[in-house]
Amino acid sequence: MFRELLRLLFIAAVCLLCLTSARAQKPLRWGADPSGGAPYVFNDPQHPDQYIGYEEEMADALAAAMGRKAEFVPSDWETLVSALQRRSFDVIINGLEPTADRQKQIQFSKAYYIFQLALTVRKDEQQIHSLADCKQRVVGTLGNTAASRLLQKEGIPIRGYADPVAAYRDLELKRIDAVIMDVPAEVFYVSKSTTLKRAGEPFFRGTYNIGLRKGDDALKAEVDAAIDLIIRDGSLEQILRRWGLWNDAQLELQNPIKAGQRNVDVAYDMTSVTFNWREAVWRLTRAAVVTVLIAFASMFIALSLGMPLAIGQWKGPRWLQWLCTAYVEFFRGTPVLVQLLFLYFGLPTIGLAMPASLTALIGLGLNYAAYESQVYRAALEAIPRGQWEASYLLGMSPLLAFRRIILPQAFRIALPPMTNDFVSLFKDTSTAYAISVWELATAYRELANASGQFLLLGVAVSLYYLAMSLPMAHLARRLERRLQRREAIEAVEAEIAV
Amino acid sequence: MIRVKNLIKHANSTRILRGVSFDVAPQTVLGIIGASGSGKTTLLRCLNGLERIDGGMIECDSIMLEAKLSASEYGRRVKELRRKVGTVFQHLYLFPHLTVLGNIVEAPTHVLHVSKEKAEAEARELLDSVGLSDKARRYPESLSGGEQQRVAIARALAMHPALLMFDEPTSALDPKRSAGLRSLLRGTVSRGHTMVIVSHAIGFLDGLADQLLYIEGGEVVEFGDTDRILNSPSDPRTQDFVAQAK
Repeated sequence: MFRELLRLLFIAAVCLLCLTSARAQKPLRWGADPSGGAPYVFNDPQHPDQYIGYEEEMADALAAAMGRKAEFVPSDWETLVSALQRRSFDVIINGLEPTADRQKQIQFSKAYYIFQLALTVRKDEQQIHSLADCKQRVVGTLGNTAASRLLQKEGIPIRGYADPVAAYRDLELKRIDAVIMDVPAEVFYVSKSTTLKRAGEPFFRGTYNIGLRKGDDALKAEVDAAIDLIIRDGSLEQILRRWGLWNDAQLELQNPIKAGQRNVDVAYDMTSVTFNWREAVWRLTRAAVVTVLIAFASMFIALSLGMPLAIGQWKGPRWLQWLCTAYVEFFRGTPVLVQLLFLYFGLPTIGLAMPASLTALIGLGLNYAAYESQVYRAALEAIPRGQWEASYLLGMSPLLAFRRIILPQAFRIALPPMTNDFVSLFKDTSTAYAISVWELATAYRELANASGQFLLLGVAVSLYYLAMSLPMAHLARRLERRLQRREAIEAVEAEIAV
Repeated sequence: MIRVKNLIKHANSTRILRGVSFDVAPQTVLGIIGASGSGKTTLLRCLNGLERIDGGMIECDSIMLEAKLSASEYGRRVKELRRKVGTVFQHLYLFPHLTVLGNIVEAPTHVLHVSKEKAEAEARELLDSVGLSDKARRYPESLSGGEQQRVAIARALAMHPALLMFDEPTSALDPKRSAGLRSLLRGTVSRGHTMVIVSHAIGFLDGLADQLLYIEGGEVVEFGDTDRILNSPSDPRTQDFVAQAK
């Protein structure tokens, strides 16, 4: 009896030791992008400081199967691979497709989920039933995903988005005609929508695998074993069912494992990056044209709106002064990025939906009008009062004096800061990437992510920016010089004459 | 030509002009003298309508400015008045972005709508008369102070004013140039202009102004023919000022 008890105690002690040693194991640090990441991993709307999602639950299950604790490291979708290589975390669990280009950089575990793609359209859409109907339409999807690569291969015009919410919202607002998304995201967003519907059946068949650093072979073996374990004990199935993601496709993956087969080798579709330099340069050039158009159009708005603002703030009645000051302070005091997001996503709620590029040029125009008005005002105030009085005494009306005497003098004072602003506006067009305008910065991001050619494309894009901003600065300098030269020559002549 | 009666002007709560009255006959030159801060520049700015008067009245070539007029009526009359008055400021305020010729033709072409050719021909005559015919294409910045002043005079004359006003015309000139300016102004008077010159340089006005008005603390202390004021002023304050200025 006493012996029996001793044995039990011994077993308990061993178990405790095992448990504590499991606790002492290094945590499984996994990286994913939680922003707009539903249903993979995202901020719990009820508890914004917590992350939820089916992959979050799966990561916990995996870690438990490995005798570890899961530790989530929030990251950014576009830079997941390089963050993994930089050892920010040890594995990527974020619905990552093991594409050939990624396999050059990192290795992958066995598949844990079979994903399909689903096409979404508006409820009233009659013409689009499959991808084939989209040839002449603009289709939205996330950048650098199986879907975007597929669209690229099919030659369908793409609008790249950073998260599914923005893509589906633009579809509702008729800014695009269809959205393709991996089924998990599509299920999460579209099944609840009253305005959107699935077009046709899900198509394509790809796998999600866990990304690991090359060389971490021990960890890979551990992860593969853990995947087998959570499939065999049904916990992955439970998680997927809870999130409405269980479908027949998963049986293909799970049945052989449950049946005890060790190596499952089912052939799946896999997208690959088709990158050629000629196309990249062509797309960059198109992006550069868009950049130039946005810059010029928004500068035009800024210059024309800046003047009434400056005059209102300077000479207007008190209420107008107050209004103009409020405008200026608002647009100078908040980031242009936030303003663009507000215009793009906020205004449609009051029924004002504009296309992205129009939003960008209006947003930048409104923003820079605030700056230009201050340049104008400072220049106008710098003109001595005597210039006004001299004009009045010669019989000029205030308007004539302003137009003929004050404005030309103020223009010279304003020209250098205006040039400065224009060059910086030029670079600020890059904020338009936030609302998916295909301008240079967006082009760089997407092309570089698709190809991994960050350095070369970065140089190319910088050259484009320089090729556009340098002539502008040069032109402005020449204009300044021309305005000043007249006087300079006169002054020199006078010196010689004396 | 000019009739000023009981003119009052405040600035904030201080009275700058306390009931100034005088008359100027056509084709005469009035010199307004006084120390700095006596109110003489303010008086000039009331005469050309840059300051609205707070009491009394100004009559200038049959245009009446009265303190009791409504703002719009006052503004309308000031506009009329300015057609008859030309002013040359102490600091000139030439238009730096226009050439000498441009400065002179600006108002005739845009206010009087004279044709460009006619205005330029006239401007060249004026430049000739002030001795600057070779500087028409220059910018003001490249001219000397004296030359700039003559441009300002030509600019004022181009509007054919009946009355010319000067604020401290000699402040930037050396004695030789002052003498030159005096003979230039004498010539202008002989062509029929009435003139008001604010200055504290009595020497400059001697032999130019027909009448002098001595102002102190915003009040007219003495007003009369130049000879009498300079040689036998009756008020002790004028005596002091004249003695010191000499």
